[in-house]
Amino acid sequence: MFRLQSSKVLAVDMTGDAVKAKNGSMVAYDGEMAFKKLSGGGEGIRGMVTRRLTGEQMTLMEVKGHGTCFFADRASEINLVGLRGDTLYVESSNLLATDGGLRTGTTFTGLRGASQGNGLFTTTVEGHGQAALLSDGPAVLLRVAPQYPLTVDPGAYVAHQGNLRQSFQSGVTFRTLMGEGGGEAFQIRFEGDGVVYVQPSERNTIAGDV
Amino acid sequence: MSPYGTPGTGPVVHDPVTLPADDNVDPYTFCVELKGTQWFMQKGKMIAYYGAIDFNGVGHGRLDRLVRTSFHSPLHASDWVVAEGSGKMLLADRAFDVNSYDLADGNLTIRSGNLLAFQPSLSLKQSIVPGFLTLIGTGKFVAASNGPVVFMEPPIRVDPQALVGWADCPSPCHHYDHGYMTGVMGGLRAMTGLGGASGEEHQFEFVGAGTVLLQSSEALMAEQATGAPPNEPGVPGGGPGQPGGAPRLPGQLGDLQRRFGL
Repeated sequence: MFRLQSSKVLAVDMTGDAVKAKNGSMVAYDGEMAFKKLSGGGEGIRGMVTRRLTGEQMTLMEVKGHGTCFFADRASEINLVGLRGDTLYVESSNLLATDGGLRTGTTFTGLRGASQGNGLFTTTVEGHGQAALLSDGPAVLLRVAPQYPLTVDPGAYVAHQGNLRQSFQSGVTFRTLMGEGGGEAFQIRFEGDGVVYVQPSERNTIAGDV
Repeated sequence: MSPYGTPGTGPVVHDPVTLPADDNVDPYTFCVELKGTQWFMQKGKMIAYYGAIDFNGVGHGRLDRLVRTSFHSPLHASDWVVAEGSGKMLLADRAFDVNSYDLADGNLTIRSGNLLAFQPSLSLKQSIVPGFLTLIGTGKFVAASNGPVVFMEPPIRVDPQALVGWADCPSPCHHYDHGYMTGVMGGLRAMTGLGGASGEEHQFEFVGAGTVLLQSSEALMAEQATGAPPNEPGVPGGGPGQPGGAPRLPGQLGDLQRRFGL
């Protein structure tokens, strides 16, 4: 069972079950815990090869035991996400922990990933259970519905959930090349039905200054 | 109804109807509502928007009239853009606290790196104090700070790193503690820290009526260029016309030279 000890520390109460967490993110535990490195994120040989090929690297460990285990990563804010059979798309660097029963995998995102400097692939989490996301500052959840699509800055995007189509928008014109751009040359547009997580901070992206 | 983020379970999910208009979503995110109107904002601080919003550099030809009335800092125009259209837009800056302030026919001077956005009914000018910008008029602006902002009334002396800005009062002056100024040893001590310097020998002093804005941290935010003032006699910081003499040695020994009348 995931709960927030504070906005920056995740507490997981375990009774013999397992969770997957970012390697080295445990800060404390009480009870009996065993930590095991999961090569390739526990996705088997195929998953391991895919991650190696796509550069969407993620080193996970499996924590199993009885008691309470606490996780944190560089004082980043933690956001809990409940999954009920749907898929969460998240950058591997923003994923802190998932229930042991959730499946993780890799998927192609297209140009969005490239504009973020995170590569062309992203991590998926599917199944029934909870996941914990990291963000720089508490994430804002924005709903997308067919009547109101959403546009997001690639540097602030953290994750999304639901049945969303994403398209990459570029506002690069000759003005950008002249140094007179609008400052928001690359944007991702989400359409469909779901929720997008954005953080109140922008990662350094190759598109950050145009 | 969307199955995602059902009300009552877990964190709040915002949509264009529930997002506030020109107010904070949380302490770190500010929502601006545009209804065919315009806002000036620092480049790259938009994190997401609903609706149709265009971002144009201040040099965009169509904006000439707007820039003429509200933007008087031509040399740092490349750091500012104009957002225009209709919809709701979220602004944030490196997970710093953001707050909005209303000016009613007033004036406010703010450290250049802290100002995020302002309505065009305000006009932006460079302050005489280097690194600061002054907003004059009526309207709303958004500023970021490292930790929540504290409002104080003059007379007050403040730490240079904690100062965010001031409103309605005269520009501050430097204040040095007396011990800092007495004798060569005092100067040496302040310079080297040997013999005990508290690190608080120098403050900004405010007098008169007004409000002083402080942040609750001494970690400065990155400065934004404010542009150079014109190179004219009598303009502080304008060009190389500093009264010189002997070139200054490293470590401010130049001040000692002057003290010895060299």
